[in-house]
Amino acid sequence: MRRKLHIPKWVGLLLGNPKSRVGLGILLFILLMTAFGPFFAAKDPNAFSLLDARQSPSFHHLFGTTDQGSDVFSQVVVGARESLLLGFAAATLATAVATVLGVLAAYSGGIVDDAINSIINIFLVLPPIPLLVVVSGFLKSRGTWTMVVALGLVLWAFEARILRSQALSLRNRDFVNAAKAAGESTRRVIFGELMPNMISRIAAAWVLIFYIALLTDAGLEFLGLGSLQKPSWGVTLYWAQTNSAVLQGEWWSFVFPGAALALTVIGLVLLLAGIDEVSNPRLRAEKTRHSFLSRMRFALLGGRVAPHVEAS
Amino acid sequence: MRWFLRRCLFYLFAIWVAATLVFLLPRLMPGDPVGGVLQHLSPAQIQANPGIVQTYQALLGGGKGTIWQDYLKYIHRISHFDFGVSTSNYPAPVSDVIGRTLPYSIILVGISFFLAFVVGTTIGMIAAWRRGKSVDTFVVPALMSLGAFPSFFIALLAVYFLGLKLQWFPIQHAYDNGLTPGFSWAFISSATRHAELPALVILAAFTGGWVLNMRTVMINTIGEDYVQVGFAKGLKDRRVMTSYAGRNAILPPLNGFAAQFATAVGGVVVIEFVFSYPGAGLTLQQAVLGNDYPLSQALLLVLALCVIGANFLMDILNLILDPRVRTS
Repeated sequence: MRRKLHIPKWVGLLLGNPKSRVGLGILLFILLMTAFGPFFAAKDPNAFSLLDARQSPSFHHLFGTTDQGSDVFSQVVVGARESLLLGFAAATLATAVATVLGVLAAYSGGIVDDAINSIINIFLVLPPIPLLVVVSGFLKSRGTWTMVVALGLVLWAFEARILRSQALSLRNRDFVNAAKAAGESTRRVIFGELMPNMISRIAAAWVLIFYIALLTDAGLEFLGLGSLQKPSWGVTLYWAQTNSAVLQGEWWSFVFPGAALALTVIGLVLLLAGIDEVSNPRLRAEKTRHSFLSRMRFALLGGRVAPHVEAS
Repeated sequence: MRWFLRRCLFYLFAIWVAATLVFLLPRLMPGDPVGGVLQHLSPAQIQANPGIVQTYQALLGGGKGTIWQDYLKYIHRISHFDFGVSTSNYPAPVSDVIGRTLPYSIILVGISFFLAFVVGTTIGMIAAWRRGKSVDTFVVPALMSLGAFPSFFIALLAVYFLGLKLQWFPIQHAYDNGLTPGFSWAFISSATRHAELPALVILAAFTGGWVLNMRTVMINTIGEDYVQVGFAKGLKDRRVMTSYAGRNAILPPLNGFAAQFATAVGGVVVIEFVFSYPGAGLTLQQAVLGNDYPLSQALLLVLALCVIGANFLMDILNLILDPRVRTS
């Protein structure tokens, strides 16, 4: 008997939800474009020829050309790799920091919790983009991995706050107390009991930070402060702005990279909405939008909500 | 009152952390920032400003003193707001450059951000009150998707379509060439015209957040008994919505107002860059690109202080508006 192809349960759940299905579809399209686009572009994205400069989209140059005559289509599909890699890695680092600190604070309580909580609160009042702008000014080489570390260490705080409150609510549940009473080691209680119950929250945190890191990184590159050596969406937008492409009416040089970025962001936001609905069946019935809305609010408001909302 | 004192202590602590972070950043990074800064000044310029090297060393490190001596000097200088001379605006001191550019940002961001809050919470209130009706089904998702867009992409699109193609708005700088900033009618009207499009972009980027926030809280308040009491008293629908449900639902968004400021300040750096708007954000970007470390350090500190100050103001407002905070 042939075994059926084993698909993890959560994949089916996510595909069953209309929001995350559309979101995953968009992200799959972006990934395919990133993987196979360069074969169709087949040109050096930075190759320039002044003879071809400032052309509007045509069959030869699908997305037109820049001020220097580089092909915008090549820059968008090749640049996707750098943009997505940076967002992906920064989100992974920031989620790891947020999870470790959030769970540690909630599980330890007392002075450790107070200390971590004040660090979180201070990070929430420091404006992240100006901080990153100044940090990247001091960095002499702004390579991909340097930017990943900088982004990851600045963008973890609001998710640490969410994960801390999730872990706090789990800490005194019966199954955790039972594990403690059974003499399980702290490490086993955290990794065997607490963490498995937070997986969906951590996944949602990762998607949200991915979204914010992608935007923040593109913003920094747009200001001329990212890793400018490799093409990426933000870098293409930076050159469009620096060469006053907008003021000269060359809409294609900023609309295509900007739209690629916006499309990815919308895919991530929809996926986030889906994860929230799938992971919390109670929300699916009628209060579906509540959790998504409150998570968006965390993102948009930097993690501060009124006490009575937080408690619910 | 204990709550308020604790907040005050936290803000003092946050200011100290921000100042210390600004002190430590250049020392943690590789390279010789003082040398980098001095390269932008000629020997004659350095001679014309006695003590300038010491000021830069206190700010950026690389002097002969230990880090503790540097730190004391640094705290002493920044408490007098002495950040030395800005190399990219020579011979203006850093404090003058900030005094010249910060007002543009504060007025632009202050007004448009406040408008985004008012418009957003009003739409959110109406959307929650008439759930599933036209505002809720069309306006809310539209503003939400705009809010998810990168703000500089909205700004670029606005410059291209509303500024360049339709020519409805001026698209560059804060006022017409040839005007001198001051309290003249010509300057103020020109500055207002130039602020319209950036303000519109900030509105587009930030209103969605408030709509979401207000809508969620409002939906929870609609079920409360005091709203039913309002109806039972025979009050008009609109009066119950604004004075009963809305009056209570506005508190959490108001709480979030200052916190979102930190994000808004970042968005403004990028938006000012698109519009070549000579505020603190554009100055910060140019200071960093031009290796004008003293100016970029000072601006980071000032922007952090603005966010902390906005949080503090909101705490006071909260104390006045919400009696529960006073008694707890």
